[in-house]
Amino acid sequence: MNDVSFRVEPGEIVGFLGPNGAGKTTTLRMLTGFLAPTSGEVHIDGIDAVKSSIAARARLGYMPEGVPLYREMRVFEYLRHRAALKGVDAITDAVDRSLELAGVTDARRRIIGQLSKGYRQRVGLAEALLADPPILILDEPTSGLDPNQVRQFRELVRGFARKKTVLLSTHILSEVEAVCDRVIIIREGEKVADLVPGDSETSLEDVFAELTASPPAGDAS
Amino acid sequence: MPAWIVMRRELGSFFVSPLAYVVLTSWLVWNGVVFWVLTEFYARNAVSSGAASPLSAFFGGSSLFFIPLLVFVPILTMRLIAGERQSGTIEPLMTAPVSDAAIIVGKYGAAIAMWCVLWLPTVIYAWIMSQHGSVDWGAVAASYLGIFVLGAYFMAIGLLMSALAPTQIIAAVLAFVALGVLFTVGIGEFVFDGAVRELCAYVSMWGHMQSFSKGVVDTRYLVFDLSITILAVGLSIGVLKARRQG
Repeated sequence: MNDVSFRVEPGEIVGFLGPNGAGKTTTLRMLTGFLAPTSGEVHIDGIDAVKSSIAARARLGYMPEGVPLYREMRVFEYLRHRAALKGVDAITDAVDRSLELAGVTDARRRIIGQLSKGYRQRVGLAEALLADPPILILDEPTSGLDPNQVRQFRELVRGFARKKTVLLSTHILSEVEAVCDRVIIIREGEKVADLVPGDSETSLEDVFAELTASPPAGDAS
Repeated sequence: MPAWIVMRRELGSFFVSPLAYVVLTSWLVWNGVVFWVLTEFYARNAVSSGAASPLSAFFGGSSLFFIPLLVFVPILTMRLIAGERQSGTIEPLMTAPVSDAAIIVGKYGAAIAMWCVLWLPTVIYAWIMSQHGSVDWGAVAASYLGIFVLGAYFMAIGLLMSALAPTQIIAAVLAFVALGVLFTVGIGEFVFDGAVRELCAYVSMWGHMQSFSKGVVDTRYLVFDLSITILAVGLSIGVLKARRQG
C-alpha cells in the first residue's frame, strides 16, 4: 500500500473499487484494525484508529471478505455471542433487530454451516449491524449472491443512506452505480480516482478500464 | 467481560464438536488401561520402588502418565488460535472491540477448563482404590494440584504454538515437539551430572509429578510451572499483536 488517502463523510455511501490485488481488502483491514498501517493515519468517526484501536472498532460494523462465521453455531447463538463481545446492552433486542434488518429472521435457529451462501452473507450483515454502528465497512458484500439477493442487498444499503456511513468494496461496477454516492478507485495500492458516478460523460466502466487496465507508467518492463 | 465471552464460545464450540467426545472417550479408555496395568503390577509384585501405591504411580509416578498427555494436549490446544486463522474467523474476532489480551486469556481459560474436564473422571480411580484399601487423600489432593499446575503450563505452551502456527496440524505438531522435548530433557536427570543434572531435574515433568503424587508439594515446581505459563501466555498475546503488523 502506498498512497490511499480519502475521507468518507457521515451518511455517505462510498464504493471502493479496484482490480483484484489492488489492495482493497488490505485497506479495509487497516481501517478496521485487523492490520496496523506501517505509516499514515486512520481516523474512524474522529477517533485515531491506530492509537485507540478498540474505541475505533466499537464504532464500526465490519463484514470481512468471504464472511467467516463459526459454522457450528446457530444463527442467533452466533449473533448473541457477537453482541456480547461488542458490549451491546440489550442483546436480545439487538439480535432481533439485526435479524430483521438483514432478512434472516426465518433462519435464526439454523446452524450456520448448513446455510446457503446468500444466507451466510446476510448473517454477516446482521452481525455488522448488531451494535447499530454509525459506520459500516463491507468487503465484497455481494460476491456469491444470486441476482435477486444482490437486488435485496442493494435496497438494504440504499436504505442506510444518510443514516449510516457505508464504505463497500466491490469490483462490480453496476453495483457502485446503483448504490454509491461516490467512488474511490485504487490500483496497486494507490488511489487513482475519487469521483461521483454518473457525473462524467464517460461511463464508469470506461473510466475504470482507463485507470486500471494498462500497466502503470514506469513499469513497462 | 470479553475474556469470559471468548472462553464461553470456545468451550461451547468444543463440546458440540465430535472431536470433544472422541478425545474424551479415547482419553478414558487409554487411562483406564494404564490404571488397570498399574494396579495389576502392584497386586502381583511387592514393590519398593519410588512410587509407593498404584495411585501415585497413576498420577505421574510412571512414564505411562505422560505418553497420553503428549498426544492429547496438542489435540486440545491446536484449534485455539490456528483454527480461527484457518477458518478466517480470526478476522471478526480481532476486529471486535476487545483487547488482544482478552482474546488470549479467554482462549487460555477454555484450554484450562478442557484440561479439568479431562481429569475429572479420574477421581473415580481414587474412589475405587479407597474401596479396596487405604488411600492417602492428602497425596491425592497434592496429585491433583500437581496435575493442575502441570496442565497450566502444558496448555500455555499449546496455546502459544497455536498462535504461532498457520494451521491446526502444524500447531499440534509444534506443541507435541515442544512437550516431547521438555519431557526428554527431564529424563536427562538420570543421564548427566552436576549443574546439568540439576537443570534437567528442575525441568523434569516426571520428577515434578513423582513429587506431587507422593504428597510433596514442591514450590520450586510451582514457580517453574507458573513462570512458563505466564511467559507462554504473554508471548501468545505478543504473537497476536505482531500478526496485526502484517
